[in-house]
Parts: sequence; structure tokens; C-alpha cells
Amino acid sequence: MKGVAVELGVKDPSVRRTGVNRGVAVIDFILRIIAITATLASAIAMGTTDETLPFFTQFIRFRAKYDDLPMFTFFVVANSIASAYLVLSLALSIFHIIKSGAQNSRVVLIFFDAGMLALVSAGASAAAAIVYLAHKGNTRTNWFAICQQFNSFCERISGSLIGSFVAMVVLILLILLSAAALSRRY
Amino acid sequence: MEKTEVEVGETSRERKGKAPLLAETPAALGHARASGYKRGVSIFDLILRICAAAAALGAAVAMGTTQQTLPFFTQFFQFQASYDDLPTFSFFVIAMAIVTGYLVLSIPFSIVCIVRPLAKAPRFLLILFDTCANVEDIDDMSQTFITPQHKFLTLSNVNDVQLAVALATSAGGSSAAIVYLAHNGNSGANWLAICQQFDNFCQRVSGAVVAAFITVVLLILLVVLSAAALRKH
Repeated sequence: MKGVAVELGVKDPSVRRTGVNRGVAVIDFILRIIAITATLASAIAMGTTDETLPFFTQFIRFRAKYDDLPMFTFFVVANSIASAYLVLSLALSIFHIIKSGAQNSRVVLIFFDAGMLALVSAGASAAAAIVYLAHKGNTRTNWFAICQQFNSFCERISGSLIGSFVAMVVLILLILLSAAALSRRY
Repeated sequence: MEKTEVEVGETSRERKGKAPLLAETPAALGHARASGYKRGVSIFDLILRICAAAAALGAAVAMGTTQQTLPFFTQFFQFQASYDDLPTFSFFVIAMAIVTGYLVLSIPFSIVCIVRPLAKAPRFLLILFDTCANVEDIDDMSQTFITPQHKFLTLSNVNDVQLAVALATSAGGSSAAIVYLAHNGNSGANWLAICQQFDNFCQRVSGAVVAAFITVVLLILLVVLSAAALRKH
């Protein structure tokens, strides 16, 4: 008599893994919303800087705006592009919640997330370099620390960096989550 | 009435009453095909790593060996420029050195993946370094007869490479900001463009920033390659 092929006492593994992947997709969605608020807040905080000092002399300008320095313009543009992309990728994230088994769309998402990570970190680090210079100056190159005059401008640009760095960390977590969801076997 | 016994080849498993080995032969063929594909992707991964390591090393060395002294002097200006005059450039050298070190250390693991594409790696290395393959837990008895899925580029690979992406773009972006200032100056903040005097220093530093961004592009390709390789086939 031939043996009968019976699978005894084995829980269906695909249901368990799909459940975990759905949880991962929900966390992905929430993290994207956090990143959207962070990048948007950074862009707005930097973009609305405008400080005019109440005195003047012949030699030095006494009005500071973000577009006086092209790095800050790049910062605003990079954060705006990142927040626009994240809003659009929310749709893909919702699709992953519904259909947790999607693989190729996750690879596409990882590709664009990696590109956005590079863009956001380039913008944030460029602005951080200029903010550092603005706070400390540089004696070797005779660059003067402008924060000593423009207090409110300085505080605003320093604060707007925080949102951008938070968004950078969140993007790293997002890529890690997508890769983790990809690597779980079905 | 005669009883005709039809002999269907029984394996020892079937005699013991377990499920038949239905998927053995096609799985073995798929195994060989998957091994060849994974070897190809591993080779491409190794090439990308070597190129990225070379670019990162070039960037760190180009920035770290800058020193220019101008042949004249006055009372007011410093006439010697080296990378540690600006802390941003020091950060650049350190960050690119870290990225180069990570890539160089991960090359042996990549080579092992080419030679033995389905090798099992020690578990304690999984978190820190990239490994070849990770035989997924075979606790489901129903899965033991089918070839286990080998994730030959694991999750730690994707994570480590994207940390390198973040570090390299931070270094490149901040140094690009300073290089732009050095080339153009800024009238609003009264910052003078130092490139007009230190042109050799300036060229070297600009070249280093370009090399850093080339590294970033190669590393992003590496992330996407690792992510695509994580998919189930």
C-alpha cells in the first residue's frame, strides 16, 4: 500500500507572512507621513526667512533672505521635491498595504527612495555647512560669521535643518522596511 | 481474478508514509539555473563595489593631500591653504575614508559569493557585514522537499550600502557648498572667493567633490541591485 501524502499539523505559512508584510506596509505609510511633514516644515521654515536689521552703513548689507545663498535655495528646492515625491509615493504605499505580495513595485519604490535619500542628504549637508560657517566663520579664508548680526535669521536656518535630518533618518528606515518586506519568503 | 501489481517506484520516504518527492527533478534544474544567475549578479555586485571603493579612495586622497602655499604675502591674508583649514573638508576626508573602508572590507564577502553562490554564512556576521546566502529557517516540514529559497544578498547588504550612500552624499554635498562659495564668494555675507588666489587647491578640492558624487551614483546602483536580488525567483 502506498503512503498517502498528508500534511499534518502545518500552519499555512503564506498567511502568516502576508500578515507581517501588511504590518510592515502600514508602518511604511506612517513613516512616509512623518517624512512629508518633516521635509515640508524644513522647506517652509527656510523659505520664509527674511530679516532686516534696523541700522545700516555703507559697507555691509543688512537684509538676509534665503535666496542670498544659493545653497539655501537648493535646500528649499530639494526638500520641496522630496515632499512632493513622498506625497505621490503614499499611493504606492497604500497599494502595498492592500496587496502585500507585490515585489517589483517595492524595488521601484526602493530605487526612488534611495534617490530621494541622496537628494535630501545633499541638500541638508550643504545647508549645514553654510550654517556652520555662519555661526563660526573662518579665519583662514576671512569669512565673517554673519550670525552675530542676524540672530533671528540664524535661528530659523539652524532650526530648519532638524526637519531635513529627521527626514533623512526616516528615508533610511523606509528603504530598510521595503527591503525587509521583499526578503521575506512566500 | 488476477491481481496486477503496478510497480510505481517507491522511495524510502514513501515507504515511511511521508509525502512523495514530486518536485525533486525540476527543482534541481531550477537550482542550477538560479545558481548561474546569482553568480552573474554577484560578479556585477563585485565590480560595482570595486569601482565605488576606487572612487571613494580617490576622493579622500585628493582632498587629504591638498596643500598650497602662495609665493607672496601681505599683512592681512593667510597664504597657505590645506584641507583642515575648513572643518567641512575634514569631515569630507573622514567620511570618504569610512566609506572606502566599508567597501574594501565587504569585497572579500562578495568574492566568496561568486565562488560559492549558495554558501551559508555565519549568523553573527549577518548584522555587520554582507553575506552570501542565508538558508531560510527550514522549520516547516512541508518545505523540506522543495529547494529552500536562498537570499544570496541579505538585508544587511541593503542597509549597510544605503548608510554609505547617506554618508557619502553628506560629505559631497557639504563640500560642494564650500567649493561653490570658494569659487563664487557671496556679496551678501561679504565672503571673498578664495579660488582666485588658490587655484591649484581649488581644482583639487573640486575634483574630490566630483569623485564623491560618482561614488554616490555607484552606491545607489548597488542598493537597487541588492534590492532586486532580494526578490523571490
